[in-house]
Amino acid sequence: MPEAIATFDKVSYMYPRSTALVLRDISLEIRKGEFLGLIGPSGAGKTTLCLAFNGIVPQFYGGRFFGAVNVAGLDTLEHPISTLARYVGIVLENPETQITATSVENEIAFALENLKVPRDEILARIPRVLEAVRLEGMEHRHPQELSGGQKQRLAIAAMLAVRPSLLVLDEPTSQLDPVGAHEVFRTVQELNRELGVTIVMASHAAEELAEYADRLVLLNAGQIVDEGPPAKLYTQVELMQQLHLRPPGVTRTFHYLRKAGFSIPELPVTLNQGIAAIKPLATACHRQASEGQLAPAPRDGRPLVSVTHLTHTYDDGTQALRDISLDIHRGEYVLITGQNGAGKSTLVRHFLRLLLPTDGEVRIDGVPTRDLSISALARRVGYVAQNPDNQIFNTTVEQEIAFALRYLDMATGEIRSRTERSMAAMGLQDVRDRHPLSLPRGERARVVIAAILALEPEVVIFDEPTTGQDYQGARAILRLTKQLHNAGKTVIVITHHLYLMAEYAERVIVMGKGTLLRDAPIRVVFHETDVLASTYLTPPQAVQLAQALTEATGIPLLCLTPQEVAGALVCDTTGRSL
Amino acid sequence: MSSMALRTVDRDSLFTRLDFRPKLFMIAVITVVAFVWEDPLMGGGLALTVLLACLAAGVRPGYIRTVLLLMLPFSLILILTQGFFSGALLTNLTGLQPDSFHMLFVFPAAWPLIGSAGLSWEGVQYALNIIAKSLTMTLVIPLGIFTTDVDTMIVGMVKARIPYKIAFVFSSTLRFFPLLFARTQAIIEAQRLRGLAFETMGPVKRLRVYARIVVPLILSALNESQMLDVVLQSRAFDGSPDRTYLHDSRLMAADYALFGLFGLFLLTAIIGYVVFGVGKFTGVLW
Repeated sequence: MPEAIATFDKVSYMYPRSTALVLRDISLEIRKGEFLGLIGPSGAGKTTLCLAFNGIVPQFYGGRFFGAVNVAGLDTLEHPISTLARYVGIVLENPETQITATSVENEIAFALENLKVPRDEILARIPRVLEAVRLEGMEHRHPQELSGGQKQRLAIAAMLAVRPSLLVLDEPTSQLDPVGAHEVFRTVQELNRELGVTIVMASHAAEELAEYADRLVLLNAGQIVDEGPPAKLYTQVELMQQLHLRPPGVTRTFHYLRKAGFSIPELPVTLNQGIAAIKPLATACHRQASEGQLAPAPRDGRPLVSVTHLTHTYDDGTQALRDISLDIHRGEYVLITGQNGAGKSTLVRHFLRLLLPTDGEVRIDGVPTRDLSISALARRVGYVAQNPDNQIFNTTVEQEIAFALRYLDMATGEIRSRTERSMAAMGLQDVRDRHPLSLPRGERARVVIAAILALEPEVVIFDEPTTGQDYQGARAILRLTKQLHNAGKTVIVITHHLYLMAEYAERVIVMGKGTLLRDAPIRVVFHETDVLASTYLTPPQAVQLAQALTEATGIPLLCLTPQEVAGALVCDTTGRSL
Repeated sequence: MSSMALRTVDRDSLFTRLDFRPKLFMIAVITVVAFVWEDPLMGGGLALTVLLACLAAGVRPGYIRTVLLLMLPFSLILILTQGFFSGALLTNLTGLQPDSFHMLFVFPAAWPLIGSAGLSWEGVQYALNIIAKSLTMTLVIPLGIFTTDVDTMIVGMVKARIPYKIAFVFSSTLRFFPLLFARTQAIIEAQRLRGLAFETMGPVKRLRVYARIVVPLILSALNESQMLDVVLQSRAFDGSPDRTYLHDSRLMAADYALFGLFGLFLLTAIIGYVVFGVGKFTGVLW
C-alpha cells in the first residue's frame, strides 16, 4: 500500500464564536497518488476539512482545534501556512475570487515568488504547468478573459507550479457550466493518473466522482459516516437519500429496478457499467414510457412574452443574440439552457428591459419593451438572480418583502396584505423579524422570491437558481418554482443542470452561440443528444440509459428520470410495477 | 473583459513601455508643480497638457468625460464661492483692495442679504486655478496607473524602495475598485428589478433607496476580502519582502530621459516661482 501523504488524527474543530463542532473526531489517511472524493450535504464540514490540510484551519480562522493533521511529515499546527503551501495546493469553489494577478503567467508565478523560487526556475515551470492544464500559449492573457473552466484550470496550474505533494479542490466545478466542469475533471484526472498527483476533491458531482475517484469519504455533521470506493458508498442509495445526497443517475435507476424485483447483484455507479448492465434486461418485456408531451401544446391567445427576430450586439461588437424568435404563453414552465455565453441571460435581460434589442422586438403582453420602463416591467416580470444576497437590502424579512411596495405609493393596507400573502406563500411567517442575511441560503432565496411575489408578477424568471447549491438546496428551490407554476405563474428557469429539471420543466429552449438551437417539449429535447452536445450539454444519465435501451430493442423510450427508465422495464404481464 | 479587470489602456505607447518608477516620479513632479502654480493660465496649460497626454496614452475619452462631469458641480461651487467671497484672500495674494476688483456681476443693493454682493473676475480666476490644480492631479494618476500593468507596478514600487506590503496593498486596492463598482451596479439593478422607478423619484427618496446599497455592498466586500486572504495565504503570501519576482524592472534610456526631463522641469518651476514669481497668482489675466 502506498505511503500516507496526509493524516488526520482525531481532529475536532470549532470556529470562533461558535459552540458547535464543525469537525468531530476525524481520523483519516490520504495515500500517495490516490484520488479521494469528499462527499456530504452542505454544512457537513467538507470545506473546513479541505482548509485544514494547509493549516488555514485553524491558523487563519482561529477557533478551537483538537487532534493533529500531518501533511508531508509536517504538523499543520507547528508550521506556518506559508511553509505548508509548499506541500499542499488548494483550489477553491469560486474561480473569480482566486485571481490575484493581471496575467496568466503572473498568476502562476505568485506562489513561486512568495516561496523565493529563482526567476529562471519560475520561467521554466510556467509553460510546463500550462501544458499540464491545457492552457498553453495563454501566458500573457488577462485571467479575466478566460472562461470559468479555464480560470479553475489556471488556479490548478498555479498550485501545480509549486509541485505540491497534495492537491485539494473544494467544489471546483459547482460554479461552472458542464463544459467547464468537464475540463476541470479531465485535467484533475490526467494529473492524478499521468503525473501521480495526490488529489482530494470535495464535490457534489456524483457522476464524475463515481468515474474518477478511487475512494470516497462521506461526511455528515462533521463526522465521517463511511468511506470506501464509489461502488461501496454510492450504492447505499437509502443512506444517500437520507443525507439529502444524490447518487449517480445510473445507480438510482438500478436501485429502482432492484426495488421492482429485478435481480441486480451489484448496483452500477458509472454510465458504462450501467449501459452494460441494462442491455440484458432489455430482453424482458418493456413498455413505452413517454406519457409526457411530445409535441408543443396548442396555445391560444396573445403570448405573454413575444420575441421577434431579436438580435443583440454589445458595445464591444460581440453579437450575443442572432435572430431569435419565440413566444411564451401564460402558465408555461420553460427551461432555457445552453453553455456559458450561449446568450441565455442576454435573452432574459431583454424581457426585463435591462437590454434593448439591437434589431427585432420584444413584447410583454403585446407591448414593446421599448415603451415600458424597467420598474413598470418589474411589476409584471419578476427576476430572481443567482446570488440572492445582492437582492437583500433590509434588516428584517418583513421589511424586505414590503421594501419595493413602500416606494410604489401603495396604500398601507395593501402593502400589509400583499406582504402577509407573500410571506405565507413562502412559509416565512416564523422568521418575519429575523435579518434576512442571518438565514440559510435556501431561505434567503425564499425571501427574495417572496419580495418579488409581493409585486404580483405574471412571470417569474429564475437565473441559474441551482448554481452553487447542493442537491437538497437545488431541489428546494425547484419545488418552489413548481409551486409558483401550480399557482398559475409563468415560470422561466435558466440552468445547465439538466438532471435537475426533468421533473419540473415542460418546454426547453436550447441556445448556443447566440442562436436558438431548439425549442420543444422537454421529453423531445433531452433525447436530442446531438443538439445538446452542440452547446456542450449532457443529458441526464437516465436519458442515456433509455437511449441504450432504445438501441438494444429498437423501440423508442423517451424516459427522463431513473424512475421512468425502471418503469419502462417493468413487465406489465408479470404485474411488476414501481 | 469582466468588470473585475482594472481599467487599463489598450494602446501601446511610450507610457506603456516606461518603467513605473519614472512614471511615479512624473506623477510626483506634476502634482507638486500643479500645487505650487497659482496662475490659472499656467495651471490650465498644465492640466490641458496632462489631458492631452492621457488621450495620447490611450486613456478612454469616456473615462475623462466622466471625470470632467464629476468635477463640474465642484467647479461651479468653486467659481461661485471664490468669485463672491474670496476678497481677503485675493487682497493677501495680489495686494489689490476689493474695491479695485473687476466685477463681472453685482446684485442690486436693494436685495436683502445678498444686495451689493459681486462676482469678481479675480475671484473667478482664483477658482479656475484651483479647478486646474484639481484636474491636473486627478488626470495625472490615470496617466501613470492605467498605462502600467498592476504586477509590473508592484515590482517598480519595490525597486523604488516602497515596502512590498504597501505596494501589494496599493495594487490590491486598484484591483478591488472595479469589483466594488460592478457589485454596486448589480445591487442597483436588483433594486430596479424590484419595481423601483428611480426616474420618477425625488432626490431625497432616491438617496434613501441608494443608501440601502451599503449593507449588501459591505457584506459582499468583507466576504470577498476574506476569501482573497485565504487564497493569498494558501499561495504562501506572508507580506515578506524576501521574495523573488517573475518580472525584472530595469531602467532604460527612455526612463532615465524622463527622470531628467521631469527633474529639470521641477527645478525650473521652483526657481521660476521663487526667484522670478513665474506661476504666482497676480489676478491680472488681461
